[in-house]
Amino acid sequence: MLRKLMKHEFRATGRIMLPLFLILLVTSVGANFSTRGLLETDSKILDILGVLLVAAFAIAIASVCVMSMVVMIQRFYKNLLQDEGYVMMTLPVSVHQHIWSKLIVSAVWFALTLVVVCLACFIMAFDVGFLHQIAAGFQELFQEICRNLSAYYAFNGTAVVAEFLVTCFVGCCAMCLQFYAALAIGHSFANHKMAWSVLWFFLIQFAVQFLGGMGIVLLDESWFHHLLLGWTDNISGMASMHLGMFAVILGEVVYSAIFYFLTTYFLKKHLNLE
Amino acid sequence: MKWQFSNDAPIYTQLIEQIKVGIVVGAFPPGERLPSVRDLATEAGVNPNTMQRALAELERDGLVFSQRTAGRFVTEDKTMIEKAKRGLAERHIKTFLAAMLRLGYQPEDIVTLLRQETSEEESANGGSGM
Amino acid sequence: MAVLECKALTKNYGHTAALDGVDFAIEPGRIVGLLGPNGSGKTTLIKLANGLLTPTGGEILVCGMAPGKETHALVSYLPERTSIPTWMTTTQLLDFYQDFYADFRRDAAEEMLAHLNIPARQHIKQMSKGTREKVQLIVTMSRAAKLYLLDEPIGGVDPATRDYILSTIIGNYDPEAAVVISTHLISDVEKVLDDVIFINQGRVMLQSSVDQIREEKGMSVDELFREVFKC
Repeated sequence: MLRKLMKHEFRATGRIMLPLFLILLVTSVGANFSTRGLLETDSKILDILGVLLVAAFAIAIASVCVMSMVVMIQRFYKNLLQDEGYVMMTLPVSVHQHIWSKLIVSAVWFALTLVVVCLACFIMAFDVGFLHQIAAGFQELFQEICRNLSAYYAFNGTAVVAEFLVTCFVGCCAMCLQFYAALAIGHSFANHKMAWSVLWFFLIQFAVQFLGGMGIVLLDESWFHHLLLGWTDNISGMASMHLGMFAVILGEVVYSAIFYFLTTYFLKKHLNLE
Repeated sequence: MKWQFSNDAPIYTQLIEQIKVGIVVGAFPPGERLPSVRDLATEAGVNPNTMQRALAELERDGLVFSQRTAGRFVTEDKTMIEKAKRGLAERHIKTFLAAMLRLGYQPEDIVTLLRQETSEEESANGGSGM
Repeated sequence: MAVLECKALTKNYGHTAALDGVDFAIEPGRIVGLLGPNGSGKTTLIKLANGLLTPTGGEILVCGMAPGKETHALVSYLPERTSIPTWMTTTQLLDFYQDFYADFRRDAAEEMLAHLNIPARQHIKQMSKGTREKVQLIVTMSRAAKLYLLDEPIGGVDPATRDYILSTIIGNYDPEAAVVISTHLISDVEKVLDDVIFINQGRVMLQSSVDQIREEKGMSVDELFREVFKC
């Protein structure tokens, strides 16, 4: 059933995201033309056209990123909490499957957005002399850093990149779930559901920051801090970096789990469709 | 067939009456198979259980009979149909009489009136070139 | 076993009771009218049976189970407002129902859609309100469910469509399944019903068969309703 839910979820979201991706790729080609020559001609008209093409590309990148976010929120809200909720919440599937399907599909779109934006940038910069040079410069710089790091800290590049990607991915899921939880709680109220949702989103945000801040303050002088210090004194810098990454990922998972619990609880027990 | 229902009697009794009329006037000819319960119910716009009940009642009276697999049929017994026709007529007359008595007519006046009315109708029919 | 059963069912919204100790059972093969004035608790009851709300007290059982994903597979629900996803085409909607419901009879749905001249490739968004309602009714009635819960199925439609809807309900009659029709347009549905449940201010006022009411009171359910709920 989860597979079927995801199939229809992709159908529903793909019809918005895929055309956007296409537009982005088309504008990146336009921006490529523009940077390849249009901007350096003497013709005013071609000049303006070049500027417009680059602007279109920038707007397309921004709108793809924003839309992947908007679609994620809007699908949860419209599909489960508004009129369509009558159909969706009476399907022979569990609330867990609903949330997972939404979460996985959103995460896939986030990842695809990243890939497509990178691809678009690549297309835009393809075979353009000065950008090429800049890229080469960056590459050199990066390689230099890597060499140094690997020399000094036994830098395991792949592992850190993987950890970074996992952090981003889990972070996206955590953010999704925070939105879901706020919407689910807000829509359990009888009136002003959307206002409550927004309020709850900020309340949650505030609570998380407050607790986080409190946590840091409290941990600062606690035995745990000393324990950590004791540990990190005895391990290499690289190992403590891995440890730090794992701590961040673990934190995100706990964060996600809390919101997952809140969302399922409110959808199961306090669903209140209009 | 046209189905119509009044508010004062149970729907199944009205169904029985209307199917009887259908049989008497030949809308459901003797020996013919009746439509299925579901089709009859859909046609009349009534609940299938109610239609079933009406047909079961008609079966008990002997006006229709069912064959295990083939469905329900109208009886071929003409005297039975004649009897049903007579029964319907008696019912109509009873309601008519009750209404006339309420208006204050005596039975003999009613007969006279009826005679007048029917002869008028006959002459009207004759006039139209029968 | 009863298809739908309520035992001392209570539902409060804040301090106001929408349902207050409702008890009844609906057996398979019955077409039941859930009748009551606006705000009497009909929709609340149907939402509870669908698990869209949770009871405050008592219990509601569908085929012996509390509402959940198992009962959703047995219940075909027509909400009071049109709620099919509007971005889909009719064909996509049929795909959707076929994917999720093992009892969905696609051929029956296609036949009804063709009968009403509803194009398969049209987006639901582009349809009139009445057509959308018909499409949702068609997919609801195309399931071979154990319990049909129809919330105001004839509320906002023209008389011709009303007849079509009622004949669809009769035509889909299944002795193993029960149909619950919530409405306040009693005279239109009366002939189609086996039983009626009168509900007012969250309480069951009367549960009886239509023929019994007509036999005992000598009046139609519609007339009785007007008498019981006289303002």
